[in-house]
Amino acid sequence: MVFGPIPDREYHEGFMRKAIEMAEMALSSDETPVGCVFVHAGEVIGRGINGTNASLNGTRHAEFVALAEIMAEHPSSILRETDLYVTVEPCIMCASALRQYGIRAVYFGCLNDRFGGCGGVMTVHSDPAVDAPYPVYGGLFREEAIMLLRKFYVQENAKAPDPKPKKNRELKTEILPISTPNVATPGGSTPTIEKGRPALPILEKAALVAKAQLKQ
Amino acid sequence: MGLSQPDTTTAAPPTGGTRKRRMLHLKTKEECRLGNETIQVWTVELPSKHAEGILKVIKEQIEGQDNIDLQHLRRFAKPKYLPQHVIGKRDLVKEMYAVPRGWESTPPTVIQASSASWEWSSGSARKRGADRSLTLYLLVCPSNVIQLRGLHDLMLQYPPFCSSADSWAYPLEIKEVTVPRLAPTSPEQADQWSDEYWPTFYRKTNPFGAHPTSIGKAEADLEDPISDNVSVSAMMELAEQAGTATEKLGYGISTGCVIVERADDQTEIIAVAGDARGKSLPSEGGSDDANIDTSFEDAGDKKTGGAFAKKTARKKRKKKEQQIAKLAEVNACTSGNVMCHAVMRAIGMVGRKRLRVASQPISTRAAKAESGFYAAGLQRDEKARDAFFLDLPVTPLEQQYFTRDNLKPDGYLCLKLEIFLTHEPCMMCSMALVHSRVGRVIFKHRMPQTGGLTAERVRNDSGPVGLGYGLCWRKELNWQFMCWEYTAFKYASGSARQYTDGKTSAAGHVARRTGATAGVQGKAMDRNGKAYYGGENDDEDDDAKDDADDHPKHTTTTATATSSAAPGDENANSRMHSLAHVHV
Repeated sequence: MVFGPIPDREYHEGFMRKAIEMAEMALSSDETPVGCVFVHAGEVIGRGINGTNASLNGTRHAEFVALAEIMAEHPSSILRETDLYVTVEPCIMCASALRQYGIRAVYFGCLNDRFGGCGGVMTVHSDPAVDAPYPVYGGLFREEAIMLLRKFYVQENAKAPDPKPKKNRELKTEILPISTPNVATPGGSTPTIEKGRPALPILEKAALVAKAQLKQ
Repeated sequence: MGLSQPDTTTAAPPTGGTRKRRMLHLKTKEECRLGNETIQVWTVELPSKHAEGILKVIKEQIEGQDNIDLQHLRRFAKPKYLPQHVIGKRDLVKEMYAVPRGWESTPPTVIQASSASWEWSSGSARKRGADRSLTLYLLVCPSNVIQLRGLHDLMLQYPPFCSSADSWAYPLEIKEVTVPRLAPTSPEQADQWSDEYWPTFYRKTNPFGAHPTSIGKAEADLEDPISDNVSVSAMMELAEQAGTATEKLGYGISTGCVIVERADDQTEIIAVAGDARGKSLPSEGGSDDANIDTSFEDAGDKKTGGAFAKKTARKKRKKKEQQIAKLAEVNACTSGNVMCHAVMRAIGMVGRKRLRVASQPISTRAAKAESGFYAAGLQRDEKARDAFFLDLPVTPLEQQYFTRDNLKPDGYLCLKLEIFLTHEPCMMCSMALVHSRVGRVIFKHRMPQTGGLTAERVRNDSGPVGLGYGLCWRKELNWQFMCWEYTAFKYASGSARQYTDGKTSAAGHVARRTGATAGVQGKAMDRNGKAYYGGENDDEDDDAKDDADDHPKHTTTTATATSSAAPGDENANSRMHSLAHVHV
């Protein structure tokens, strides 16, 4: 289970705390509040926040920014002994990139029900593919990760082609418990009703609240 | 819709060979599973006057009852419009309960005299028209949303299913029925489904993909471009040249990407990029290569001239080849720097160009975001970053298009741009295209084992054709774009199933073995061999090979052959991986 028990949870929370700090930094600089750290042998070797605004490149996600820092000093093969801690589940793009680079494991805060690639929308980390799958563990500081996102999404995105006025938005603080009936087991098969097909979207209730706000 | 063009069984060969390939619009995920996909739902019969009340209960109490879009089905259906198997046997007891009773509307203040004739109703209700159904069938929700027991208990709490002071409980009977999962695509289909399953609506749209008229317009734009505009064949050739260029330098495999902006019906080539996954990172001893400008200048040895320059260029190239070989050893999957797939590089170049042509407010904001990075204490080694993302040109060809300030200022990411690719992109690149809000994507070769755009998994005549992700058009994601395979004329024209010519097939097979399967890394190192992809493929052999590429069966068979190669072949095939296994 993506939200199953995490062995040695406190150890991992320590690194997730660092990822949350990165996300907070991103929020204060108007970037999507997603933060991450890559950890090798108990040491942070790369940190990242979204770089979309600075690069005008929609693919410059936190994971990639951190990878750039890592690869400045290490060969990409180091990733096979490296774990990622990211506040929001990696998107489909990042999930695939991480798999191609051979990441060892991914720990995340909350699901990404818009384009998550590790259980939120698809299960790129574990689907049958040419590269080896990797395990994912979700739910570390989930509430904080969600609140950071909500704080961001009540703001307006003036760069969008058709900016939506969001003056009436209010920040909701209620976070509902996890309900993920169809979530994948790491390295296992696709969690679909019909086997072999990519998963239907998993509607995490908490994310639904944020979504409902978006539609207002 | 892909093969829906008129089946020109007699006119399959292109006239005079002028047009070997055509655009074939990809089926979307939902179009692929259209067939007759069904879903189980709960349904319950109830007196019409309680219909709204019970629906309200369902909407409020059953979580996820509308998670699956069943808007194409009537929520309430009159029994007379339902197929017989849904209604089942006539139930006289139920009918009796369905009749409105006089005392329900008028509270019984008088005990009926034993002598008086019994009345079922006040009478007025009946006169409201014979057509008015006494009961309706309500589509409750998909049956996987709530257990039968739970639904049963819930219904029993509310009228008409609970007994109350002024009403007897209406007999609760919950049935599970089968209904179409997706909306119909024609009125005929809607009628048929209404007869077979449940009353079904047809709405005049294509809910599963782009509207046919937009697809037609795009195909006209690209296959018969107006003067000065680019054509799909020319752009595909450019993409191939881009791939060949980086491959020749030993930077990567021969895959390429071209990005075009079409504004006011005029086209501009915005970015051209080849794959450069093998270009060494600073951490891999490639820091001297970080100076991008020099590395491609001495590669274009004809211009630089001079035997010495050539010699050093060759030396340098040899060194790079060794680095790639080393890289291949280090990375078991030989994936190299994944970030340097052609699509990622080209998207990065567009961002770079946007920064360059941005108006004051936009560039100020970007600069502010950039300074936020410093403030955040993130390491700022720009050279290393550029070497990792490689979103700057590395060949003269890329440079030529990168330097032009031809992008409309202040656009959003790659919104509505056109993307031309030699190969179907991997999942990462496919999703990068979604994130970048691209408009149209055209690729030449399918990648059945790694591609992320194709929704089809299997084709009857050729076996596996893709992983089935169909990222170009997924409702779950927040962006969809039109996508075409630029395929041999015979497939696009709908006569693909006639492809049984053994000779051609065998030729294709052989060409495929000697060419494409020779492997990516291997090709990058093989200086003597010719470029198997790209360039002008005008001779017959290449034709056969191209056809083989379109026929994924060969890809699959040869891929298996390669991976199970005898030890004796190992020398020739060491570190050589079939392109079929490569993320492009």
